[in-house]
Amino acid sequence: MNAIVIRYTLMLAAATAGLVALGVYSHLAETSLQRSEFVTGYALFGLILLLAMFNARKKLPMLPLIRSAYWLAAHVVGGIAAIALFFIHTGSIWPTGAYEQALAIVFYLVSLSGIFGYVVQRIYPRRLVQTDLEIIFERIPGELAEIREEAELEIHECTKETGSDTLARHYIETLSWYFRRPRFFLNSAFGGDAGNHWLRNQYRSVDRYLNEVERSYLNRIANLAGMKSKIDVHYACQSVMKGWLLLHLPLAAGLLGLMFWHIIVVNVYAI
Amino acid sequence: MANAIIARPQRWDAPFGPEMADDDVNRLLKLPEFSNIDSDSFPKHTPLDGIIRNDSRIVKYQPGDIIVREGDYGNSAFLVISGNLRVVIAPSLPRNLIGRQASKKKNFFEALSQLWTNHTMPEVRDTSRYGSQALREGNIRGESDARVFLQDIPSVLDKHNTAQLGPSSLFGELAALGRVPRTASIFSEDEAELLEIRWQGLRELRKYDPDWRKTIDERYRENALKVHLKSSPYFKGLSQEELNEVADATLFESHGSFEWHVSYKRMRDQGKSDKEPIIARQGEYPDGLLMIRAGFARVTIKMGNGERTLTYLGAGDSFGHDELWSSHLGNDVSLETSLKAVGYVDLLRVPAPILEKYVFNKDQYSKSRPLHQLATHAVAQDAPLEWAVEQRFINGTKAMLIDLNRCVRCDDCVRACASTHGGNPRFIRHGRTFDHWMVANACMHCADPVCMIGCPTGAIHRSLETGAVVINDDTCIGCGTCANSCPYNNIRLVDIRNADGKLLRDPENQKPITKATKCDLCETNPGGPACVRACPHDALKRVDFQGDETFGAAIS
Repeated sequence: MNAIVIRYTLMLAAATAGLVALGVYSHLAETSLQRSEFVTGYALFGLILLLAMFNARKKLPMLPLIRSAYWLAAHVVGGIAAIALFFIHTGSIWPTGAYEQALAIVFYLVSLSGIFGYVVQRIYPRRLVQTDLEIIFERIPGELAEIREEAELEIHECTKETGSDTLARHYIETLSWYFRRPRFFLNSAFGGDAGNHWLRNQYRSVDRYLNEVERSYLNRIANLAGMKSKIDVHYACQSVMKGWLLLHLPLAAGLLGLMFWHIIVVNVYAI
Repeated sequence: MANAIIARPQRWDAPFGPEMADDDVNRLLKLPEFSNIDSDSFPKHTPLDGIIRNDSRIVKYQPGDIIVREGDYGNSAFLVISGNLRVVIAPSLPRNLIGRQASKKKNFFEALSQLWTNHTMPEVRDTSRYGSQALREGNIRGESDARVFLQDIPSVLDKHNTAQLGPSSLFGELAALGRVPRTASIFSEDEAELLEIRWQGLRELRKYDPDWRKTIDERYRENALKVHLKSSPYFKGLSQEELNEVADATLFESHGSFEWHVSYKRMRDQGKSDKEPIIARQGEYPDGLLMIRAGFARVTIKMGNGERTLTYLGAGDSFGHDELWSSHLGNDVSLETSLKAVGYVDLLRVPAPILEKYVFNKDQYSKSRPLHQLATHAVAQDAPLEWAVEQRFINGTKAMLIDLNRCVRCDDCVRACASTHGGNPRFIRHGRTFDHWMVANACMHCADPVCMIGCPTGAIHRSLETGAVVINDDTCIGCGTCANSCPYNNIRLVDIRNADGKLLRDPENQKPITKATKCDLCETNPGGPACVRACPHDALKRVDFQGDETFGAAIS
């Protein structure tokens, strides 16, 4: 068993033990007509604060704190435990009271965005490796511009050499749309191959009008388009891998705010 | 289409120093070290005066100038023409005197303070530090260079045990030919004139003149060979007399180019493999044990129409013992595998009769697993090794290896590096890939740090504390020698800024002041490399390619 599996297993075991203890406590408290919500509520609050501290850890890389990999493991396991603890605390999937319902919605959105992010981060890296290309996200616009320039140069050369504007016309009418910017974002994100399918259709539609010399230019443009198609996959996957945090982090900040207010209200009115 | 025509490049197209005047060459030829040489023993294409004119240069030093530093790598030897030098025997000169920095780990609060002390602009420097180091312009006949000098020679002489080197002294030849660090620091006691001979010239002098050969070989045997033999498991337990006999019989040779990084970079840019001179060929008769002193060699076996890499050998490894052992048992054998120089290799050849006498007849000799048995591995299993050797990554002791199957491209590693290095990362999360592994463009802290050769001020050096290759920002003059030498493009020159965030410029030509920067393994930060600690996905590791255990373990 490798170190990562051991790490997650141990944390999961610890979280399960904690949840079982809180669950038993909650049950015993209910049966003895006592209120368990304060204990489970503060436990949930503490757990969510711990989860939020992962982001703070990222801001302090210069300190000899525990490795981020351990923090992520704690974040993932703690996040799952927080969902279970939420149910123990509220006693239902959907609480009563408008404010609590708002709190629950934000909690569910944070949890769902977190699960989405985790799943995406487990799946997408392998898909990027399978493109056989590695590119830094910020360099993608520059790379696309370079590919576009090369494609247009091929078109110019083709026109100059053959005196025919067939390929140039096809490029202006159709292919330039593809080379202009990343395309087929959603399809790439869902693992489809629509980009290459679209390209094959475009090659077929013009191929019958080309002679051998023009066809060799089309082949070179097809190679450039193939490269661009890989970059499109990188653009889509890397955008999603970066973008989900733009949902998760603000929602988490909102959840913390709502939680604080919830605690104040409970302490003022429920005691 | 007509072919373009240029003159075929010749060996001396790029002489070591600025062109030497005829008077200088004639004056040098009258020195006793050269006047006794029979110039007819040199081939016509490599005449003695040609070696002096093109493979050496005259360097003048002022009192206190540091000529070589202990621990530096160099590719030249020095002959004292006039003046006196001092070699520091013990204790070694303090690091600050020879242009290096003593690395001090930041405490928790100093590390934390980077949160608010880091400037919003990258590469801001405290310029008040720069004046404290004794640096001055050197004098290499019209070329400008910089060198560190000792300001208080009498104090150094008082505190350190030194020995004098006068005219006709030769030093630095072992480091130049053996690619090992210099063993002592030497400074100029008064005004001195030295002849600096680059390794190519030294090699020719040793090759064609018996006196130079005798001098160099004797020193090599005395100072380096015996130490190496003593540390070898083959000759463990030999008496001093026996060891002397082994040393006397041992031949030493070097293969490949000292400046392998130049051709490697060129070939890599062209997408080709660099040439690898054959040291021992499969099928040939094994005449001795080859022990590697420095550099790397690739063990290959013929496979189809190519050569398959079985393993690579580094300093301390040996080649040929299996066949020699088999021959000792009375079998008629030839080499089962070939050995090729990967870059530069310095090795010892211990003749077979010596092994018969002192190794194979010993009771405790235990035969290792023959190298050719590695060929039983599946081809695919060895592909990562083949790639690592091809790319010369075997040089790395702390290479940044990223598992792209786990890396989510979040750049937490890059941000962590920037946060701990004044706002600018010291690596690029990009590099050569194999399957789902990437060796990123981060300093690998090489076993053979070619970047350290030629640094005029010794700013780039190995840290005594960690062994990491680090740059002393105070003494770096931004000449770019290290960046140009690094075969992996892992050193970058950056324009620096003052505390106000303004770019610093040279008042004479308005060019920006630059400094070399690279990964320093977060030597001064508590907790080790921030990049590794910052990776949430266990994707980033620092691996040692020395021996396939660590690299193999990392990718398995």
